[in-house]
Amino acid sequence: MSNDQEASVSNIELNSQYTGTLGGAVIRHTLIFFVIMFIWEMANRTGFSNPLLLPRPTDIVASIWKIYVTQGNVWYHLWVTFQEAMLGCLVGTVIGIALAVAAVLSDTFRQFLKPYIIIVEATPRIAVGPIFVTWFGFGMSSKVALAALVCFFAPFVNTITGLLGVQEESYELFRSLGANRRQVFWRLMIPTALPTMNAGLKLAVGSAFGGALVAEFISAQAGMGILMARYTMSLNMPSAFAGLLSITLYGFLLFRTMEVIDRRVLYWLDDDLMAKKSAKRAIKFRQELGL
Amino acid sequence: MAEDIVISGSGLGKQFNETVIAVEDANFTIPRGSFISLVGPSGCGKSTLLRLISGLIEKSGGDLLVRNAEVEGPRSDIGMMFQKAVLLDWRTSIENVLLPDEIRGTVDQDAKKRAWDHLQLVGLKDFEFSFPRQLSGGMQQRVALARLLQTGADIMLLDEPFGALDEFTRERLNDELLRIVEGPDITTIFVTHNIQEAIYLADQVFVMTPRPGRIAAQIKIDLPTPRHIDMLTTPEFNKYVQEVRDVLAGHLDGQPL
Repeated sequence: MSNDQEASVSNIELNSQYTGTLGGAVIRHTLIFFVIMFIWEMANRTGFSNPLLLPRPTDIVASIWKIYVTQGNVWYHLWVTFQEAMLGCLVGTVIGIALAVAAVLSDTFRQFLKPYIIIVEATPRIAVGPIFVTWFGFGMSSKVALAALVCFFAPFVNTITGLLGVQEESYELFRSLGANRRQVFWRLMIPTALPTMNAGLKLAVGSAFGGALVAEFISAQAGMGILMARYTMSLNMPSAFAGLLSITLYGFLLFRTMEVIDRRVLYWLDDDLMAKKSAKRAIKFRQELGL
Repeated sequence: MAEDIVISGSGLGKQFNETVIAVEDANFTIPRGSFISLVGPSGCGKSTLLRLISGLIEKSGGDLLVRNAEVEGPRSDIGMMFQKAVLLDWRTSIENVLLPDEIRGTVDQDAKKRAWDHLQLVGLKDFEFSFPRQLSGGMQQRVALARLLQTGADIMLLDEPFGALDEFTRERLNDELLRIVEGPDITTIFVTHNIQEAIYLADQVFVMTPRPGRIAAQIKIDLPTPRHIDMLTTPEFNKYVQEVRDVLAGHLDGQPL
């Protein structure tokens, strides 16, 4: 209770920084941004920095226009990388959650799994990239595989943490009500673990993108990774930077999408959504009961 | 006599491993409709005894009969309530109250109507569709009480149900609990470490002492019913308090607590 109150107080303080002077903050940040860009541009034009390695902001903007509009070649590569990352994320998450559930439900399996998990954890997973490319080829499957491997861990660990977080008294309640294992699992364990599991999922989506990109760097026919590698190899730095900015933007959009989904799914952790849900269920229930 | 006894233990024991004897040689009978308080310091085995009766854990020795049958696991005529409300955060009050029916697969119009009525009974009118996080600690326990009533169990096992609440809320909820469980049908076992509370609520107080956990005394409380908060200051009441204290003191002397 007191934690909630503290949290809401700090929220108000955080928000007031923005709500109070929202216009001011936007102006300030825009100003600072343009000053930095101006210095960067000038450093280049005066020959202070090497334009071959660090392209001018204006050139980057021109390249963005080029790869998105006049050439329009970036869309295809984005789509390829997006597919690889999402598919990899799906595979990695499903395997991660499945192993976590099995490990929580069976002590024997958990003991069996433990050393292998430690090995996987100790291995920098990106390092498996060349092996995966050799195994699964230059096409999409090696990227999916590396993305899956890279993002498997967060859902795995978070699912275990979440499921083990169910309190003893909750189990006792369900058992005293005569619940079977399936009911305990679906009605108690999974919803209790869901917030932690979702946090793992959010991390997984981000790292899957990284995994797919790294696999593309190694060897690929299409995708943002190979596109950027080609740009840098031909010293087309403005386009390389344009590609990097695209990846940042899509990473950001993906994360925000995940947050929106997260909030929807975990409505009981959000005051506004909870109030709405409460009103909806009240109407439905009253109708059913004719109250 | 025999048909009036709902729960009886003889030589009942529970040992967790070679060294920890949680309950030893418990002998007791609990008549139908009575209110029993189990009082004692931490580690005296009162929660263990409650869980033995509930069927959540297995005894190590002796006999434990509920309605003349050995306890072999959780039963539908026994309901439990804990110190934590143990509500499901993603469900509204009424959905939490309906959980017992959901688990038994008996959710229908009638069950929903009963859940609604139980929430009114525990004083949660207008909070039927609130989520647990929108409720105070006391209100959460009220939902838990409504859920217990929804089970239809006539043996209610309460493990320090209001122990985490402030004193004012606890007193109020105790009174409401008494109002709800009074009458000849509902048998209640109430675990607490508060001597006053134990006496105030009960027809009979089982005083338990630790290492090993034993029922050291069974004290019948002959105070008029319904109980009233003013009784807490009467000499009769304080005589019982002293009696319980004496039992505990006699067993705890020289024991490291």
